[in-house]
Amino acid sequence: MQTGGAGQIIHQNGGKMKIYVTGEGMVTALGRGVDMNVKAIRAGRSGVAMHTGLLRDGDGRELPVMCGMVPEDVMREISEEYPSGNGTYTRLELLAAAALGEALGEAGKKDRIGSRRRKAMIFSSTKGNTGILTAESLDTELPDDVFIDVTAKKTGRIFGYSPEDVYTVSNACISGISALVVARRLIGYGRYDEVAVVGVDVLSEFIVSGFASFRSLSPELCRPYDKERCGLNLGEAAGAVVLASGPEYMPSCAVISGGSISDDANHISGPSRTGDALYFAMRDAMEEAGTSPSDVSFVSLHGTATVYNDEMESKAVSLAGLSGTPVQSLKPYIGHTLGASGVVESILCIRQLLSGEVWGTPGYNESGVPLPLDVSDCTRQVAMRHCVKTASGFGGCNAAAVFSLPEYASDTCIGKPAGYAVIRHVRLDGQSLFHASSGAGDFHSAIREKYRSMGLDDMKFYKMDDMSKLGYIACHMLLEGLQFAPEEMAVILQNRNASLDSDLKHLSNITRGAGASPAVFVYTLPNVASGEISIRHRIKGENTFFISDRYSKVKMEDYAAMVLSSSHAKYCIVGWLDFLRGTFLADFELLEKTSDSPQEVSRNRREGEL
Amino acid sequence: MEELTEKLKAQIIEALNLEDIRPEDIDTDAPLFGASGLGLDSIDALELILILERDYGIKMSNPGEGRKILTSVRSMADYIQAHGK
Repeated sequence: MQTGGAGQIIHQNGGKMKIYVTGEGMVTALGRGVDMNVKAIRAGRSGVAMHTGLLRDGDGRELPVMCGMVPEDVMREISEEYPSGNGTYTRLELLAAAALGEALGEAGKKDRIGSRRRKAMIFSSTKGNTGILTAESLDTELPDDVFIDVTAKKTGRIFGYSPEDVYTVSNACISGISALVVARRLIGYGRYDEVAVVGVDVLSEFIVSGFASFRSLSPELCRPYDKERCGLNLGEAAGAVVLASGPEYMPSCAVISGGSISDDANHISGPSRTGDALYFAMRDAMEEAGTSPSDVSFVSLHGTATVYNDEMESKAVSLAGLSGTPVQSLKPYIGHTLGASGVVESILCIRQLLSGEVWGTPGYNESGVPLPLDVSDCTRQVAMRHCVKTASGFGGCNAAAVFSLPEYASDTCIGKPAGYAVIRHVRLDGQSLFHASSGAGDFHSAIREKYRSMGLDDMKFYKMDDMSKLGYIACHMLLEGLQFAPEEMAVILQNRNASLDSDLKHLSNITRGAGASPAVFVYTLPNVASGEISIRHRIKGENTFFISDRYSKVKMEDYAAMVLSSSHAKYCIVGWLDFLRGTFLADFELLEKTSDSPQEVSRNRREGEL
Repeated sequence: MEELTEKLKAQIIEALNLEDIRPEDIDTDAPLFGASGLGLDSIDALELILILERDYGIKMSNPGEGRKILTSVRSMADYIQAHGK
């Protein structure tokens, strides 16, 4: 039996509201500013071009890469505007600041009560400043800037956010939409009145060499959903939005009316063969928005143009009942901008929603996906109500958000997170792991011994990176004997070091070794550890990975309670999972939902139906 | 040929972290992929292609070709003998 369907809203004080997108900002390969980007896209321009300095072959020769780089004159302009006070800003931080500055500026013009609000910022990035690491970093202490949470707080400080109100999400290529979903909940459950979300990623040899080893890079402009597609183009970008609760109607602002996250529980890098989990995310986001597929005007998909991603999406769209709805991929304009893509593309969706046109997917000619999709290479005029934006990423994660024109958007009331009980707790640190092991204090032999002593037999275990092995064992202990349906479990984890331990192995491969190894590169994402847990235990609920300098237990449990309240999850694994250079800790709790709330629970309905 | 297949088995074990598997446990003619045999997946396939490229100078331009070459240790060895440098 499923309980607690998406979109349950608690009437606490009867105060109806909508969560508006009050400001937007971006920098992409097409230039700086949302208006500039929209103009370029409407003119049919692409920012994707051949660039050097990002990839070398086995003999050290330069290989050109087709990708979307932010132009150098734009970078110069931004760096003049954000002169460094103490220390310097990296390329990533400058891009984030430029996008956030634009978004907050716009929001300030539209939102008259802005100064009285409780404000937070969510920083989302797939790889943060990892690109600044060099071979020398392998033997030395790591610079502060490679810790994403440090970058986030540094960026937040420019705009006056205090460190305790800065959150960081690193969830592979869904990072941007993950952060939007988290932001929507922080407002929807009354924790803040205004949350800025910034998504940013830059290109470096670190990232490009990894994708090249996966053979997923196209030598030409990518062609999503087309028969001739042969891979993706990477891109760098920053996007920022300001979300704010508004009791009154805000003209010319879209509403973020729903959002959901799911996991495939299938493979850490290969997309699902059925598309069911992406479908779950779309279904739940639409339900939360109080909309049906027939009210969705268009869907902006992930559309990376890899063979398997696009196939999977066609299946998910079909399951969601959206085969006849116009869909698009924005990747040919700016490339796949990784953790930034969710925010940047959401902004572009909002612009389309407000303008009544759905832009084409350049390069699309003939369908090369197994199920029908309504793709076009031309702009289409569409009667607008709601738009669904999706993303999928390594670790098997999927996310969907719904944006609505204010006149069609449901009202929301401040919700109260579900009641829960902590029913289990597992802590695995050096002391407990080495104490149980007969060998000396060496992680590899101790974790192997633990694995064998538990009677597990899974060839995949040995291929995992150390952080995934640790999470895998801790979860086995935590979930032992528990029965649940795939959508009834969510995984909310946090750590300080993201995937730096595996990042250093990949860095060693590309600087001192034989080159990038796909089996190492795939673990350079923290949420792949939660993906491994999800595969082993068939968990298809939300997977979200937060980064922080220390475990914020209260905030993580509070967020888990929001997930229990606004998804199909009955249980949530919440905890800390970290591993860097032999120092590690897994500290997991299992939360069980006990009640929706002591107060009356009612569905999120459109105004007039209440 | 036997020398090549044995070398390949050792390389596969090392590259794919096949803990507890010895070269003699791998059947030269058994399928490498799928539920039976070693149960390798798509990431493993990419690692095997890297072995062919880096250690045997083989350039695989057509991705569809890979599936056939990587069927078994024998098919890999056959291909290396025919196309390797």
